[in-house]
Amino acid sequence: MLFSSLTFLYYFLPVAVGLYFLVPRRARNGVLLLCSLVFYAWGEPKYVLLMGVTILLGYGFGLLVGKHREGKCGKAFCILSVAASLSFLLYFKYADFILGSIHDATGWDIPLLGVTLPIGISFYTFQMVSYTVDVYRGEEAQKSLVGLAAYIAMFPQLVAGPIVRYSSIAKQLGDRRHSWGLAAYGIRRFVIGLAKKALLANQLGEACSQLQAMGGESVLSYWLDAAAFTLQIYFDFSGYSDMAIGLGSLFGFRFQENFRYPYVAASITEFWRRWHISLGSWFRDYVYIPLGGNRKGWKRQVLNILAVWVLTGFWHGASWNFLAWGLFFAVLLIAEKLWLLKRLQKSKVLSHAYTMFSVMLGFLLFQAGSLGQALDGIGGLFGAGGIPLASEEALYCLRSYAVVLLAGGIGATPIVRDVARRVKAAPAEPLFVAVLLLTVTAYLVDGSFNPFLYFRF
Amino acid sequence: MDRGKKNIAVCLAFAFVLGGGFFASLWMPKAGYSYSERRKLAEKPQLTVRTLWEGRFMEGFEEYLQDTFPFREGFRRAKALAAKNVFFRQDNHGLYTVDGWIAAVEYPMHEEALAYAASRFHYIFEEYLDEDNQVFLSVIPDKNCFLAEGSGHLSMDYAAFEKSMAEKVSFASYIPISDLLEREDYYKTDTHWRQERITDVAERLAQAMGAELSGKYQAHTLAQDFYGVYYGQAALPLAPDRLQYLTGASMEGCRVYDWQNGRGIGVYDMEKAAGADPYEIFLSGPLSYVSIENPKAPKDKKLVVFRDSFGSSLAPLLISGYSEIALVDIRYLHPAHLGRFLDFEGRDVLFLYSTSVLNNSNTMK
Repeated sequence: MLFSSLTFLYYFLPVAVGLYFLVPRRARNGVLLLCSLVFYAWGEPKYVLLMGVTILLGYGFGLLVGKHREGKCGKAFCILSVAASLSFLLYFKYADFILGSIHDATGWDIPLLGVTLPIGISFYTFQMVSYTVDVYRGEEAQKSLVGLAAYIAMFPQLVAGPIVRYSSIAKQLGDRRHSWGLAAYGIRRFVIGLAKKALLANQLGEACSQLQAMGGESVLSYWLDAAAFTLQIYFDFSGYSDMAIGLGSLFGFRFQENFRYPYVAASITEFWRRWHISLGSWFRDYVYIPLGGNRKGWKRQVLNILAVWVLTGFWHGASWNFLAWGLFFAVLLIAEKLWLLKRLQKSKVLSHAYTMFSVMLGFLLFQAGSLGQALDGIGGLFGAGGIPLASEEALYCLRSYAVVLLAGGIGATPIVRDVARRVKAAPAEPLFVAVLLLTVTAYLVDGSFNPFLYFRF
Repeated sequence: MDRGKKNIAVCLAFAFVLGGGFFASLWMPKAGYSYSERRKLAEKPQLTVRTLWEGRFMEGFEEYLQDTFPFREGFRRAKALAAKNVFFRQDNHGLYTVDGWIAAVEYPMHEEALAYAASRFHYIFEEYLDEDNQVFLSVIPDKNCFLAEGSGHLSMDYAAFEKSMAEKVSFASYIPISDLLEREDYYKTDTHWRQERITDVAERLAQAMGAELSGKYQAHTLAQDFYGVYYGQAALPLAPDRLQYLTGASMEGCRVYDWQNGRGIGVYDMEKAAGADPYEIFLSGPLSYVSIENPKAPKDKKLVVFRDSFGSSLAPLLISGYSEIALVDIRYLHPAHLGRFLDFEGRDVLFLYSTSVLNNSNTMK
C-alpha cells in the first residue's frame, strides 16, 4: 500500500489509528502488527509468508544468540541468522542477476528464475540483521514474538525505510509514551512528506517522462532531465522518510532522521552524511567498522571503503549500473579522504558545484536502465553526438516546470525549514495542515498510480 | 493560541479531514458514470479469497476509490486550478486553454502512426478499389494547429503532416482544407469543428470530387449548453459552447440507416441532445457503418467516406451532391468485412481523418 494513496489516507490510516488508541496499552503492539500485515499484504499478499518466516527465524535465533552470547555458539547462531536473512535477499533479489551474468560471461544457456522482488525485502532484511547482531553485541533479545514482529513489520517504515536499528527502538517497543505534542509533530511531518511526494516528486517525475516521450534531444533537455530526476529522487525518498518518521511519532516511536538537506553539502563525504543516513550508518556499523574501518592503515581503509560501496551499490539494485554507481562514489570518497577534501575547503562555490554535479552524475547512473544508457545521458550533458544546445521540446518543458523546479530547488535547502517554523508559529497552522492535506488529496484523486522510487530496492 | 492547544487543533484538523473523507466515502452515494470524462467509473471489485491472494481485489479497490471518491469533480477542479495558477504548468494532462478555447497538445508527430494509417487505407484500396474509383484524401487539423503558436505550446508541423500523409497515400488525390479553417471553426470546449462554420469545407471537398452541392441551410441552436469532451477533461471553470446544426431541403426525404444496429435513423438524432455528448446528434454519433440515400440527388454520384467523428457533422452537408453516401469508421469495423455489405463499384471514395486520429492510428482496425 502506498502512503500517497487514497486507500491509505482515507481508509487504512483512520482505522489503524482508531484501533491503536482504542485498545489497551498492552495490546497496541499486536494492533500495530496486525495493521502492518494488512498494509504489506495489500501490495504483496503472497510475500507476507516470506516475511513471516524471516521474523520467525530471527526470533528463534535472537533467543539463541541472547542465551549463548558469551560462548562460541552465540557467534555461530548470529552468523547463521545473518546468513539465513541474507540468503532470502540473495535469492529474491540477486539470483536472476547472477544467472544472467554467468550467461553473459560464458554463453551457457541458463534459464532465469523469473523471481519477483518482494517489496521492502532489502529494508526488513537489514533490520533483521541489525537485530541479531545487536543482540550478539549485548542488547537483550526480544522475548515477545509480537514485539519483534511489530518491529520488523512496522508499516510506517516497512517498505522504504528509514532502516530502524533494533538498539534504537528496543525500549520503545516495550514502553512508549503518547501525547498530543508527539501526535501533532507526527502529523506535521507526515503531511509535509506527503506534499513533497504528491506535489513535487510526482510532478518532477512527469517532467522526466515528458522529456523522454517528446524527443527533441538537446543539451538543455539532458540537463533538465538530470536536474528534475535529482530533485525527484530527493523529494520522493525524503518525503517517504518524513511520512515514516511522522507516522512513527503518531504511534509513539522516535525514528532516526534519514535526510538532512543533502543538496547543501560541500563534499561527497558530507553528502553521504546527509543522504539516506540510516543506510549509511548501517553499513558503517555492521560492515565498515567490523572490517577494520580506518584503524588498520590507509590501504586497508581504501579496501574497506570499496567493499562498503560495492555492497551499497548492489543493495540498491541487481544490475551493473548500480555497481558503477557505488564505485563512482567510492572513488570520490577515497579521493576526498586522501587529498581532495582539503582543496575543496578553499572555495565554497566550487565545492558545492563539484558536489552537486557529482551527485547528479551519480543519479544518472542510478536512473539509467543500463550502463550504456547512463553513458548516453552523461554524454548528452556535454552535447555528445552533435545535439543542439536547446530544442523546442526542452524549452516547453522548462516553461512548464519552471515553478516546480524552482520550488524543488528552494525546498531542498534549509530555507524551507525556516518557512515551516513560521507556519508552525502562526495561529492558522491547523488550517494550513488541513488545506495542504486537501490539496494533496486533489492531486491523488486526479492522478494515477505513482509508486515511490525506493520501493524497487 | 498556546502550544498545547495548537497541537490539539492540528490533530483535530487532521482527524477531521481523514475521518470526514472516510465516513463520506462509506456513506455517500457512488456514481457509476462520469459525465465530465465520458466514461464508466470503476466498480467495487469482488472480494474473494482468490482475488485477495492474487492482489486483484486491492488493485480494483484502489481504482474504485479513486473513481468514486467523494466530491471527486471538485477535487479534480482544485487540482486543475492549482496546476494552472500555482505551478503555472503549460498544460494539465496534455490540455491547455487560450481565451476560453481548450486544446490538446497533439505532439510530436508519430511517423509510424501515419504509416500505419496509410497501410490500412492501402489495404482498402488494394482489396476493393480499382481505376474506376476516384479516391481522395483530406486531413482535418486539430485545434492545436490554431492555438499553439500564439500561446507557446508545442505544435506539429502540420504542413509536413499533410505532405507526409499525401505521399504515403499516393493512390488518392489530396484535397487541402486547412487554409479554410481557423480556431473559431471549432467548439471551445470540444475537440470537433462546428458544422455551421464548415460549409466552405464541404464545398471545397465536393468541388474537388466533381459533385455539386445545392441549397441553403437553416441554422438551429440546441436549447441546452454544450459542454464538450475537453471541458470535463480539463476540469476548469469555463463557459460552455452552444451547439448549432444545419438543415436544408436536401436533407428532407433522405433515408439514413444505421447498419451497426439495424435501424433507420435521422440525419440529426435529437434524443442525443440531452445525452452525455450532444455532438452525437450528428448521425447518431460513433457508428461503424451508416448509409444515407438521397433520392433527389443525381443517381450517378455515390460516395464512400472513411471517416472519424469529424465526418459525422460534415456528411450532412454533402447530401445534396450524392444519391448515396456510405460512412465507414474502421476504428469499429474491420475493413476485411466491408465487401460483404458495401459495393464500391462506381463510387468515389474519400478518406477524411483528423490529425488526432491519424497521429494515434493504433485505434484503426
